Amino acid sequence: MRARDIMEPLQDSLRPGDTLKDAVNRMRVAKRGESRFGVKGILVLDEKGDLVGMVSIKDILKAIIPHYMTMTNLGEFTWDGMLEEMSRKVEGRKVSEIMTADVITVDEDAPLMEVADLIVKHNLQRVPVTGKDGKPVGIIYVRDLYYAIVKALLEKED
Amino acid sequence: MAHEVAETTQQVVMNSTFWTATAIFLLAYAIIVSEKIHKTIVALVGASLMLVLKILEQHEAFHVEELGVDWNVIFLLISMMTIINLMRPTGFFEYIAIKSAKLGRGEPFRIMVIFSIVTAVLSALLDNVTTVLLLAPVTLLIADALEVDPIPFLITEALASNIGGTATLIGDPPNIMIASKAKLDFMAFIYHLTPAIIVIMAIFLLVLKVVFGKRLHVKPELKKRVLEMNEREAIKDPLMLKKSLFVLGIVILGFVFHGMLNYEPATVALFGAGLLLLLSRTHDPHHYLAEVEWPTIFFFMGLFIIIGGVVKVGLIKWMSVKVLAITHGNMFATSMLVMWFSAFASAFVDNIPYVATMNPLIIDMAKQIWPNLQGIQLLHNPELMPLWWSLALGACLGGNGTAIGASANVIVVGLAERAGKKISFVKFMLYGMPVMILTVALSMVYVWLRYYVLKF
Repeated sequence: MRARDIMEPLQDSLRPGDTLKDAVNRMRVAKRGESRFGVKGILVLDEKGDLVGMVSIKDILKAIIPHYMTMTNLGEFTWDGMLEEMSRKVEGRKVSEIMTADVITVDEDAPLMEVADLIVKHNLQRVPVTGKDGKPVGIIYVRDLYYAIVKALLEKED
Repeated sequence: MAHEVAETTQQVVMNSTFWTATAIFLLAYAIIVSEKIHKTIVALVGASLMLVLKILEQHEAFHVEELGVDWNVIFLLISMMTIINLMRPTGFFEYIAIKSAKLGRGEPFRIMVIFSIVTAVLSALLDNVTTVLLLAPVTLLIADALEVDPIPFLITEALASNIGGTATLIGDPPNIMIASKAKLDFMAFIYHLTPAIIVIMAIFLLVLKVVFGKRLHVKPELKKRVLEMNEREAIKDPLMLKKSLFVLGIVILGFVFHGMLNYEPATVALFGAGLLLLLSRTHDPHHYLAEVEWPTIFFFMGLFIIIGGVVKVGLIKWMSVKVLAITHGNMFATSMLVMWFSAFASAFVDNIPYVATMNPLIIDMAKQIWPNLQGIQLLHNPELMPLWWSLALGACLGGNGTAIGASANVIVVGLAERAGKKISFVKFMLYGMPVMILTVALSMVYVWLRYYVLKF
């Protein structure tokens, strides 16, 4: 099997100019398969459909934690309600500012071992799959890859 | 008080070597000011050109005190940075900052005053960049907790840091450089500059009171957020903190007595850095040493060599003759010219290359006024001393003038921007320039009163 055989086809995505609030909302109602379960990570495409970044829940957290806290150990001195306040403070920030711009992708023809290798080496949760023209066509989640392993082992037992 | 200055310009031979060295010097400084290329790279390329073109022999650059790298400055900086790198993870600075905010009882103006004082004192004992880098994040946190605009707090901290740094030999790089060249010890700075800075700081706080005293308000329920913080939680490594404070204590005592015991300040600091590394029982000094600000250190080394080149060919001597011609050898006028020129120069350009140039210039000036004196008798001539203090006061306090005048300002502006609060060049100047002019004017009165009226 190859990447294209196990990937979930691309459905929802963001634009770089969308706001953090847009991103949160889109991720909440995004489709996974046929139903709107919401997703923990979403691709950012420009107007030509080229991949320019990815936003995950981690990126949203990073955007909400003030920079002055990331450079010091001030976690003990925060207060009840601070997370909510900071969230509202940054809701207007652009997706282009908070996304991970360096996205590792695989070709749709890539063997699954290549995908597994990338996921482990770079500690990824999801890998965008690109088509012939380099534009993204789907996403492989760690879970999808794991199902392929489960299937290989259980079918052998059968 | 005016001195007849012998016409000595003819001693400077303006041959091709002179012009080559002058060209390297001017070009390097122009590129540093333009910020087109990183200043450290410019300084290293300029320095290597001085050597490759044989303006300066390598031996002179590395081993001759008057022409080459000032290792006293280099080792003092490296050692102090290492001590701070070892101390930082203990949480000591966060502890001080949170404690200060609580002492302010959550009242914004009280916090501003206490933070200014703490910043000034820490900046006098450590470098300004470190102080601001450690206090500014806590300031932003406190401002968020109290829901007040952090900008006035951040700017006053940068200003206080530059004022406080002026007070001691180790407070600010210009002072370190002046001390090394003029062979002035730690206690000389305490005796001559600290009193001036205490007065200046008191007046600075009065100005804050007038400007902000009634303007800062906070809802009572928000004060609780600050009062509920437990500063003890900041301490991550109590044992290492004790070791650090022990070593810092020894280092400060060492500075107080270094003149008396005939040790250079760098010896004291190097001993402290070595001892604290040993006491930390780390097996991986790489991390602490790698965090030394090597680009700054190499910037210093490159600059020293560039200056050595133009000292050797006589450019600095030629410049000193011109300065004396302007002031007709009147030492009071020269002091005031040096102070104000230094202040405005440091407000717009890096005060490190500026002071690196001014040090030999002042020495050359002294040589022309007192051709028969040398060594300490020349450097510590009672009539020359006010010039050193004027240079220190002007170059350090001048840093307050603009957002780029001092590293502390640059850091504060950067941190504010990351927090979504932009401090424009003009906005900083609206605070900084009046404070600079006020503090330099006070310094002027101080130097005049102390050295030309009361004479002690």
